[in-house]
Amino acid sequence: MSQEQFYNDISDAIVSLDKDKAIQLANHAINNKMDLLKVIERGFGEGIRRIGDLWEEGEFFLPELMLGGIIMQESMEILLPHLKSSDDSFMLGKVVIATIEGDIHSIGKTIVATMLSVNGFEVYDLGADVPAKKIVEVAIGKKVDIIGVSALLTTTMIGQKKVIKILNEKGIRNKFKIILGGAPVTKTWVEECGADGYAGSAIEAVKLVKNLLGK
Amino acid sequence: MNFKDWIKDSSKVIIFDGGMGSEIIKRGIKPGKIPDFLNIEEPEVISNIHKAYYDAGSDMCQTNTFGSSYLNLKNHRLESRMAEIIAKAIENIKKVCPSNGLIVGDIGPSGEFKPPVGKATFEQWYESYRKQVSFLEEGVDLWHIETISDIEEMLAAVKAVKEISKKPIISSMTYKKTKRGFYTIMGNSLEKCVQALENEKIDVIGANCTISSNEMIELTKELKALTDIPISLKPNAGRPQLNQDGKVYYNQTIEEYKEDMKKIIELGAKIVGGCCGTSPHNILALSEIIKSK
Repeated sequence: MSQEQFYNDISDAIVSLDKDKAIQLANHAINNKMDLLKVIERGFGEGIRRIGDLWEEGEFFLPELMLGGIIMQESMEILLPHLKSSDDSFMLGKVVIATIEGDIHSIGKTIVATMLSVNGFEVYDLGADVPAKKIVEVAIGKKVDIIGVSALLTTTMIGQKKVIKILNEKGIRNKFKIILGGAPVTKTWVEECGADGYAGSAIEAVKLVKNLLGK
Repeated sequence: MNFKDWIKDSSKVIIFDGGMGSEIIKRGIKPGKIPDFLNIEEPEVISNIHKAYYDAGSDMCQTNTFGSSYLNLKNHRLESRMAEIIAKAIENIKKVCPSNGLIVGDIGPSGEFKPPVGKATFEQWYESYRKQVSFLEEGVDLWHIETISDIEEMLAAVKAVKEISKKPIISSMTYKKTKRGFYTIMGNSLEKCVQALENEKIDVIGANCTISSNEMIELTKELKALTDIPISLKPNAGRPQLNQDGKVYYNQTIEEYKEDMKKIIELGAKIVGGCCGTSPHNILALSEIIKSK
């Protein structure tokens, strides 16, 4: 079997939501000492990107997105230990992500966290209803590159501005890239907050984060 | 006069109410607890909103209990106040409901999804809704189970209502428009939802939220093609935006809403109203449409 075929088989397994197959192929790659960076990027990564496209097309819905994410996470748990010992360049950056205080909506944020994680980022997902101060504390403590703040309510969006205000007051705004997400967030709001970008979907979030970090 | 008489009267288009949350926000209430808790903290505000809808022409208005399922209240650490919240909700609407108006028991989503998205089970949903229904039953004339994204959750809510109540049920799923048609975010097609609700012999099949009136025109056409059961439509007023002062506004004009709702009524909607972002002005627009018919 050619390598291309192998990557396609992995990608197909992800899109078919076939966890057993995906894990079998992950173990095969390890046992046959394949280039795991390529296996992840061109096999698993391609699979999750196809899932994202199917979500955008209205073919896949929340259950498929979550299942795909779970399969990816479990596959990465198998592959990453073998990767870390040989190649730390896989880790593209660190992200802290949370749904802002007063808002318990978390599905979109969790999907973004999963997608970032399986695309090579170390993600600290603080959950929902998180005070702006706590987001900043973790960002500083973990020395992250990206702060992601989600809000699904127009009443809680104000908290996204508060995160940036706290960073400015501490004089550390330039140490981080800030991305915003959530249904009511618009380009105008991002500019008003002084954030670095927003993503309307998990796939867009991964692209945005990679762009902001020059990856 | 009761709801079933209105349903049988082929000439009558029933006017529902509009959004509650967006009206609360307009009145400058600061975010904190869920709107349902304002039944206790700001009863006059809630009563005034109900009254404004009845005065604008709503034949029926919903209790402010959208978030009062046990599971949702638990998420907000308010489950111990469930009976009190619902009792006040009934009191707040009863004192302003006119003699020719009806009170609708509002049941919104639990906020919990089934696997793989969450961990909820049918039984958990059912128990959660049963508790809510048991407190609401005495104070309402009919039910509206709304903004549901999973048909299984809807069926759990229907089972809970039927266990305790013989009053009519309006079941409204919430759909998004995809390239393949209208689906819920959990992947239930419009067709599958209608089929399931017909099997349950629901009195009115509805759709609310997520989309605005323009997209609901197409949804109405599809619903009418799928079922002879009366239908209910409550669209959003566009998407919420924040203006420069940090105040929320919705980007749809009343004129746009009115034009769309005319078409929706002409297509055969039995019940019309509004969801997020709509106000008594939207209901006035509906009253004008119906007067001019």
